[in-house]
Amino acid sequence: MSAVDKSPGQVFPAKCNHCSKPMSAPLVCDYCHALNPSAEVVDYFTLLSLPRIYEIDPRLLRDRYLALSRHAHPDFHGDDTPEVQQLHLRVSANLNDAYRTLSDPADRAAYLLNLLGGKTSARDKSVPNGFLGTMMMMQEELADARENDDKGELERIRNVLTCQHDGLLNRVASLFAEYSQAVACEAVRNDFLDEIRKQLNAVSYVKKLLSLL
Amino acid sequence: MDETFILGIDLGTTNSLAAWLTQDGPEVIRDAGGGALVPSVVAFSPDGSVTVGAPARAHAVENPLATVYSVKRLMGRGIGDIRGDMTFLPYAVEPADDGTIRVNVQGRRFSPQELSAIILRDVKSRAEAALDRSITQAVITVPAYFDDAQRQATRDAGRIAGLDVKRIVNEPTAAALAYGLDRKEDARIAVYDFGGGTFDVSILSVAGGVFQVLSTNGDTQLGGDDLDRELIDLITSEIREEFGQELSFPPATRQALRAFAEAAKIRLSEFDSATVEVALGKGRTFRRTITRREFEQRAGRWVEHTIEHCRRALADAALQPGDVDEVVMVGGSTRIPLVQKRVGELFGRTPYTAINPDEVVALGAAVQAVILAGTHRDTLLLDVTPLSLGIETLGGAMGKLIMRNTTIPCQAAEDFTTYVDGQTSVDIHVLQGERELAKDCRSLGKFQLRDIPPMPASMPRIHVTFLLDANGILNVSAREQRSGQEASVQITAARGLSKEQVDTMVNESYVHAVEDMTAHRLIDLRNESARILGAIEKALHRAGDVMSDAQRRLLDSAVNTLREKMDGCDDPDELYAAMAAANDAADPLTRAQLDEVIRKTAKGKKLDDF
Repeated sequence: MSAVDKSPGQVFPAKCNHCSKPMSAPLVCDYCHALNPSAEVVDYFTLLSLPRIYEIDPRLLRDRYLALSRHAHPDFHGDDTPEVQQLHLRVSANLNDAYRTLSDPADRAAYLLNLLGGKTSARDKSVPNGFLGTMMMMQEELADARENDDKGELERIRNVLTCQHDGLLNRVASLFAEYSQAVACEAVRNDFLDEIRKQLNAVSYVKKLLSLL
Repeated sequence: MDETFILGIDLGTTNSLAAWLTQDGPEVIRDAGGGALVPSVVAFSPDGSVTVGAPARAHAVENPLATVYSVKRLMGRGIGDIRGDMTFLPYAVEPADDGTIRVNVQGRRFSPQELSAIILRDVKSRAEAALDRSITQAVITVPAYFDDAQRQATRDAGRIAGLDVKRIVNEPTAAALAYGLDRKEDARIAVYDFGGGTFDVSILSVAGGVFQVLSTNGDTQLGGDDLDRELIDLITSEIREEFGQELSFPPATRQALRAFAEAAKIRLSEFDSATVEVALGKGRTFRRTITRREFEQRAGRWVEHTIEHCRRALADAALQPGDVDEVVMVGGSTRIPLVQKRVGELFGRTPYTAINPDEVVALGAAVQAVILAGTHRDTLLLDVTPLSLGIETLGGAMGKLIMRNTTIPCQAAEDFTTYVDGQTSVDIHVLQGERELAKDCRSLGKFQLRDIPPMPASMPRIHVTFLLDANGILNVSAREQRSGQEASVQITAARGLSKEQVDTMVNESYVHAVEDMTAHRLIDLRNESARILGAIEKALHRAGDVMSDAQRRLLDSAVNTLREKMDGCDDPDELYAAMAAANDAADPLTRAQLDEVIRKTAKGKKLDDF
């Protein structure tokens, strides 16, 4: 059973550490507003009370992040005990890491892929068919444009690469959508995850080329 | 007593000052004469007394080896980092056993932290006098581009000064807080902070009470001091051309040249030329008029460095110059017209200069202090780490774990293992910087993981967490996970002052704190009183006729009282009151002289006048 089907609210203790009242979200108690240490162990989506899907609302992400930061940020806990301060420090760091990861589409996809049991880039380095050929061609064009110091050509290459990058991420988005509908068969689902890994490997490649421009 | 009171302190290269939040907003703390800036200068007299601030600076020329300034440039640095500075410093700098810096004053060695603590203690006691309360907690500002070691050194200085440092806050961020506190509209702002010894630029988004730093860049060894040096270079090379290459400059002359250069630089922000006159003894005098154009030609390359840092900060924030709604100017060096011109050209808008560039950082520190005191919850400050953090990997490469401009607090984890059977300790070399090779980055020291349970090689899995806290200071923790039980792993750091060293310094200063404080204040006040009496005498001689009879009678009586208190009184408060009264009574004289002083600044002074 994959974690994607669980709605947020089931993977953390249902009761607040402090007042034992039921909690609707993992981080801050609805009643006593205490910060709960369980926030350290939940995944980034659950932490921010977001569904575990690729297509998330960036506004909602930011609003949740800021609201929770107003609770957790060490600035607001200067007079607490050292233990409570440490907890807020770690939770605040976790929140910042979560927001940074989920804000970036490629990082978010890789993180979600990992949660769903997909392979890491270290285990599976494959890329989509034909991708390497295209990239070799682009690299040659890039080297030529550099040598001739052709600003227009460099700009064209940048645009092509940006299109590639966005296209790959669109493909990732639709693969995640198809994945969540293919609930029945484990093998089919794993095929989707492998395909997403290939696309993400390609994204990293394109990003690296873009950073050289 | 209000136990939550936290003082905001701007510990600057050239000047330091404090601020607090009143009902009407943040205010800097001023002395009886209205001055807020305490020159960051410490002077040691042969009798063992220590003076701080204006009196210390006044003695710089007569006592160059025992007058320490710009100590901020030494904070958290190794001796190898400051080679360029050493030839210019009139006081003696030497390495400690671990490669950190010690300042040798008359045979006594001080760490930069201790010297900064002396300044902090002075700022603290001024604030205590002005606000009539004891102060134990503070927010201290640092350049945004300070690394971990420099931040820790600043925090240690605070502790040595008897302050619980509640937060180390970045100077441009503090400036943005002070600037943006009462502004309701959302905006992207750039803070350009060009101070006496450091340069920072930060890009922030301010919206709905959330101050989020998007990126920061800078250079902790680039400031107004470097511009002074350009002028010192110009003057010394021309003196040697005129009077012989073999001419050497003793410490007193170097200190005086520095004062001339700084005064000329300041004058050139307002006028087209400044004249410098140096008496070289044996009747030789060097006289030179420096034009603003000449200065700008020499200062230009430094200013271009700052512009390049701005470009990098913009790129990291993924913004174009035109996306920035306001450019806030901070630091004394932003008074230079060339700086304002170039910054204006880069961002395509006139920089905002309406706030006092010397005071805004302290005001922001006061705002941060109130946030920390828990009384101001609608402001959320999200700052970033200026430098990437990583570890040295096999082959001497820098393996990055946390990228620069990541919002703090933040953390990264890495697993380590052993190479030899039964190995119980592992060294981790932690680095900060952007370069690819470990040797080109700043070393934060080697952390040693100890007490690893003995196991066959590569069996232990030591999970190490690197956490940057809200001060931008690194916390390392480690756990061994393979052995089943989560063995805690001991970590020892290897740079800066050890906790024991700091504790010793804290204790030493605590033991002497009470007697020190009274004795120290009395010495300061006596020096200051003597200076004031001298100034009044001089002023009476020159401009005594501007006073009415009543004013004159008041002044005479105040001066007499002050003379009596200086000799016979051991209560600093009484002496302070007498000093303030004399200062007030001399006010008509001071006003009359003001014009004359302005006209004479930086112009045609002789060595003896300093």
